[in-house]
Amino acid sequence: MLIDIQNLVKDYQMDSLDVAALRGINLQVQKNEFVAIMGPSGSGKSTLMNILGCLDNPTSGVYRFNNTDVTGLNDDELSDIRNKHIGFIFQSFNLLKRMSALENVELPLMYAGIDKAKRMAMSKQALEKVGLADRMKHRPSELSGGQRQRVAIARALVNNPGMILADEPTGALDTTSSMEIMEVFKQLHSEGNTIIVITHEREIAACCKRIILIRDGLITSDTPNLN
Amino acid sequence: MQQIKDNITKAILSLIDHKFRSFLTILGIIFGTASVIAMISIGEGTKKQAIAKYQDLGVSNIIIRDKDMTDAELQTVRMKFSKGLSIEDAKVITDVVPGVVSVSPQSETKMEAKVGDRSAKASVIGVTPNIVSILNYRTAKGDFLTTDQYDRQLKVCVLGASIARELFSYDEPVGKSVKVDDQWFEVIGVMQPKALFTETVGELASRDLNNDIYIPLSTFNKRIPKVNPFTSEVKQLTVKLGNSEQLLPATAVVRSLLNRRHFNNDDFSIIVPYELMKQEEKETRIYNLLLLSIAAISLVVGGIGIMNIMLASVLERTQEIGIRRAVGGKKKHIMNQFVTEAVVLSVAGGIIGVLLGITLSLVISWTTEVQTTITLYSILMAFFFSVVVGITFGYLPAKQAANLRPIESIRHE
Repeated sequence: MLIDIQNLVKDYQMDSLDVAALRGINLQVQKNEFVAIMGPSGSGKSTLMNILGCLDNPTSGVYRFNNTDVTGLNDDELSDIRNKHIGFIFQSFNLLKRMSALENVELPLMYAGIDKAKRMAMSKQALEKVGLADRMKHRPSELSGGQRQRVAIARALVNNPGMILADEPTGALDTTSSMEIMEVFKQLHSEGNTIIVITHEREIAACCKRIILIRDGLITSDTPNLN
Repeated sequence: MQQIKDNITKAILSLIDHKFRSFLTILGIIFGTASVIAMISIGEGTKKQAIAKYQDLGVSNIIIRDKDMTDAELQTVRMKFSKGLSIEDAKVITDVVPGVVSVSPQSETKMEAKVGDRSAKASVIGVTPNIVSILNYRTAKGDFLTTDQYDRQLKVCVLGASIARELFSYDEPVGKSVKVDDQWFEVIGVMQPKALFTETVGELASRDLNNDIYIPLSTFNKRIPKVNPFTSEVKQLTVKLGNSEQLLPATAVVRSLLNRRHFNNDDFSIIVPYELMKQEEKETRIYNLLLLSIAAISLVVGGIGIMNIMLASVLERTQEIGIRRAVGGKKKHIMNQFVTEAVVLSVAGGIIGVLLGITLSLVISWTTEVQTTITLYSILMAFFFSVVVGITFGYLPAKQAANLRPIESIRHE
């Protein structure tokens, strides 16, 4: 099992007011699943994504990732997990503006301590995979939204993480680009990657194999998507 | 190693992206480093000049000078039984004072020297041959005065470097004759150039030693007429001691001995070049320390400038830091990145500052009378300090960057 979450709670302190973002989540995800997490804004889906991505610690509950309890890990160990096992994709692409597409993709490999030549080779391969072989030297500002998101996908999968976490990956894209991105996800899924997409768009969720609805910090439905 | 190299490349690229801002940031470091180098150069140059000057006077010597007095004062002193400085004084000092190796008396006068139609004002100095072993006197051509020439009171002379050039231009002076006042002297040697005296040392009036003409003291006393019959037999005694540790006790003995022989007339003064040198070294050290602390302050101010801009940079790049953390960058990676950037900034400032400092030192020594000496240690020190400043003042902003929470910083716009 890739993800095993038991009774996960996350509280936020906002102006001395305790806000419960997650109020007891139970969730299991197997390897090579293609999951959509849906919910209105404020439902807690982004908080869940942060915890799934080891960017944040829960207030209570258990989170096992790859059979390791990650709630007790320190900052460096969490960084290692993010680096080696999780690929992030964000709504606003989050590429480094002053770096070329290739350099952006190299970033996780650099922190993994891989040498320059190997980094270049791996990054080129990842960019070729998302169809950007001819855009490697371009900076993000010279690329379209869809292209930028594909650079971000290349960055997410360059280290062969096994799991890709996408937070509203199509939120800033037009319909055509969105569908292109989802096609890339489908391709990655067919190659054995686990993909978790957070979205509030039905068309996007419809591309996934399992749809989880979340509302007020609780999972309200969890159904396989059969079409 | 790879990490460090990557960080440095990254830092340089990021600073080139903000050329103007980076330049303004390192101005403080540039001026700080440049002033450290310039000040040390001036300090070293002055010290070197001073040491050369005192070495010419001899660091284990005591110099006793007959005081310059008006005719009336001179008359009073003679009426109080003092004969003034004499060759006899030299003999007594040699015999009585412990630690004395030798004593050289000398007389001085200013006269016109002529060769053909060239003439120049020269200091004619009557010396004993043993002066060579007491003062740092070396001939460039020919020989110095010998005991034989001294005993026979020959009319021979050795010319200082400048006067030789003035009187003979590029001709060979040795073997030729010079007319001093109205008497002919044969030139037997020419001195090596000496450090110039640009200021008065103690009671020793400044004089250009390269303008000296040395003749045997015996000849001087026999041939050069006294202007005033009361003038002392000799103008100066140069006493050489075995080593500089004997200076203090020997000076005390010389003083009491001469006081007795001159019947407590205050008609001589004692100069100890070594003491003067020590004193001047102490003064320049304090002065240098003062200059250095001013330079250090400007380095610190430069460092605060770097810290300021790095803090702004951390704020500006919050999202970048978040992204780096999300893809697996550890706190130490972020930390290293920002410290490296600060160090690259300050080292860039250091390099420009070193170049500016060297230029400044050269310009100072070309355009003013101040001698400067650029030393390797000042360059290394300035460079070292700029690195230290970078690390010190880059640490806090880097720490702040590393401690940003990834989830918050990644959403920062």
